[in-house]
Amino acid sequence: MAVILSIAGIALYLLLRQEVTAEIKEQLELQADLVADQVAQGKTVNFPLTTVSEVSADFPHDKRLGDTLIYDRLQRENEGYYYLTLVKKVNQRNYQITVMTSYIGWERYYKTIFISFLGVALWMAFFGVLINYYSNRKIWKPFFLNLENLKQFSVRSAQPLQWHDSTITEFKELHYSLKDLTERSRREYLALREFTENASHEIQTPLGIIQSKLDRMSQLEVSEEMARYIVQAKSGVERLSKMNRNLLLLAKLDNQVYSEKQLIRVDELLSQHLEQMEELFSVRNITLSKNLCPVTVKSDRHLCDILLSNLLSNALRYTSSPGEIAIFLSDQQLIISNPGSALDFPSEHLFDRFTKSANHTQGTGLGLAIVHQICLLNGWTIAHTYRMGVHYFSIDFN
Amino acid sequence: MKLLLIEDEPLLMDEMEAYLTEQGYRCEKAMSFEAGEDKIALYEYDVVILDITLPGGNGLALLQMLKKQHSEAGVLIVSAKDSLNDKLVGLNLGADDYITKPFHLEELNARVNALVRRKSFKGNAQIIVDDLIIDPVAKTVFYKETLVNFTKKEYELLLYFIVNKNRVVSRQSIAEHLWGDHYDMADNFDTVYVHTMNLRKKIAAHTGFDYIKTVYGMGYKFTSA
Repeated sequence: MAVILSIAGIALYLLLRQEVTAEIKEQLELQADLVADQVAQGKTVNFPLTTVSEVSADFPHDKRLGDTLIYDRLQRENEGYYYLTLVKKVNQRNYQITVMTSYIGWERYYKTIFISFLGVALWMAFFGVLINYYSNRKIWKPFFLNLENLKQFSVRSAQPLQWHDSTITEFKELHYSLKDLTERSRREYLALREFTENASHEIQTPLGIIQSKLDRMSQLEVSEEMARYIVQAKSGVERLSKMNRNLLLLAKLDNQVYSEKQLIRVDELLSQHLEQMEELFSVRNITLSKNLCPVTVKSDRHLCDILLSNLLSNALRYTSSPGEIAIFLSDQQLIISNPGSALDFPSEHLFDRFTKSANHTQGTGLGLAIVHQICLLNGWTIAHTYRMGVHYFSIDFN
Repeated sequence: MKLLLIEDEPLLMDEMEAYLTEQGYRCEKAMSFEAGEDKIALYEYDVVILDITLPGGNGLALLQMLKKQHSEAGVLIVSAKDSLNDKLVGLNLGADDYITKPFHLEELNARVNALVRRKSFKGNAQIIVDDLIIDPVAKTVFYKETLVNFTKKEYELLLYFIVNKNRVVSRQSIAEHLWGDHYDMADNFDTVYVHTMNLRKKIAAHTGFDYIKTVYGMGYKFTSA
C-alpha cells in the first residue's frame, strides 16, 4: 500500500511538473507577445517583471527558457522564477524581451503532495484497522462464544451445549462436527452410567439368591468346619451386596436422581441417628459430646440420612477405644471429630472411591466418597484435617 | 393365614415359600404379572408379598388393582431397586411395608408377622412363649405376672428371635434388623454379641432357662423349652 502510494505520489509529481512547466511556458510566450504588441504601439511597456531592450539586428534570435532566483522584499527570501528571453522584430527593430513569472518551488509541490498522500495513507490505515476490527469481531464472535462453551463442556452436564450460529461456512462445519462430537460423548457417557445402574440392579437378585441359600445351609446340621466356611461365604456376600448398593447409590447421585429438596432440621436428624447408634458407641467405650444448634437446610431427606450415617459410622469405626467423639453443629457448619491414628494413605485420596485404610479392609471404601458426592450435590464443602491425633470432618453449609 | 407371593425369581421364591410355610402360613405363588393379576382377581389373601419388577408389568399396577378391589390384604413390597421413589410411590398407593433385595428371610418373616398382627388382630395379639408373655402394643414382656425390664433394643431383639423361633439367625441379620442397613456393620458384630448376652442373662435370671443357643460362629437360635 505504501509502495503504491509513493509511486502514485512520484508519478503525480512528475506529471504535474511537466504540465505546469508547459503551461508556464505558454503563459510566458503570451506575455512576451503582449509586450511586443505594446512596443509596436509605441507605448511604454508596463508589465511587472518584464524588461524590454533594443538589440542589434545580428543579435541571436534564439529563445531561452530558464529559471532564476529573485529576492522577494515582502517575504524576505529568494523565490524561484521562470523567465523567457526572446528577440522579436517590432517595426523593423529588434527587441529583446524578457518576461518572468514566479512558480511555487518544486520542493513545495513535492512537500504538498507528500503531506497529502501521507494524510491519505494514515486515514486509510486508521479506517482499515477500524473496519477490520469491527467486522472481525462480528465474524469471530460466534467462534469465541462457542470456544468458551466448549471450555465449560462436561459430559456430565445435564443439558446439551447451546451453539451460536455463524454465517461463515467453515465455522458452520466446525459447529456441526463439534456438536456431533459432544453429543456423541454425552450419549456414550449416559449409556455407561445407565449401564452401571442397571448392572447394579441386576446383581441384587443373584446376590439375594446366594444369601438365602447360605441362610438355608446354616439351618442344617453342619460340622463346625462347614459352619466356618458358610460364615466366611456369608460375610463375602454381605460385603459384595453392601458395595453394590453403595455403587448403585453413587450412580444415582451421578444421575442426579435426587432433585427433590425439602427443609430438614439437621439437629433433629442427627439426634435420631445418635440415639439409634447409642449402643454401638457404648459397646466400644466411646463417649459422645454434642453441641447442636437448631439448623435447617434444604436438601433431600434420604441423602441427608445417608450423609450423617456414613459420617457417624466412619467416626465409630476409626475412633480408638476408649475415646470421645465430639459433634458440633452451628448455622454454618457441622464438625465431627474423633481421636484415631493418622491416615496411612495420602489425605487427598480420602474422599476417593475405594480408598481404605490397610487396617480396616472390611469396609466398602465408598462411605466417604458418597458423603463427598452428596455434599457436592447440595453445594456444601467438606474438609478433613488431622491435628494432634484427632480427625476433624467439617461440612460448610454455605 | 393365607399369603400370596408374587416373585419372578424361582430360586428366591422357593426359599420364601419354604420358610413362610414352615412358619405356618399357607402360601400361594405367582411368578409373573399375569399370574398375580389372576390370583388377585379370584382369591382373598391376608398378606400379599409383591415384587415390583416383574415380567409382564410393574408390580405397582397390581397394588393399584388390589386397592381398587378394596382388598383387606396387607401388602409388603419387595424391590431390587433401592429406590426411594419406588418406596414413596408404593407407600402412597397403600402398601403397608417395603423391603429391599437382598434381604434376610428372618427379616421378611418378621415384617409379615408384624403385618399380620396389625391387620388381623388390630395389634392386640399377645405373643406367648411358654410363660413369657409379650404385648406388642405396649412393648412389654411379662414372665408369668412379673414385668421383665428390657431396653428398647433388647425388646426388639427378643421379638425378632421369637418370631423366627427354631431358626439360626445370623449376626448380620440381627445387626440389620436392629440398626438398619445403612450403618456399615461389618466390624460391629461385638455389639450384637453384647446385646444377645444381656438378653440371655435377663431371661435366664427370670425363667431359669436359656432360650437362646449359640450356633458355632453362625449366629443364634431361639428354641422354647
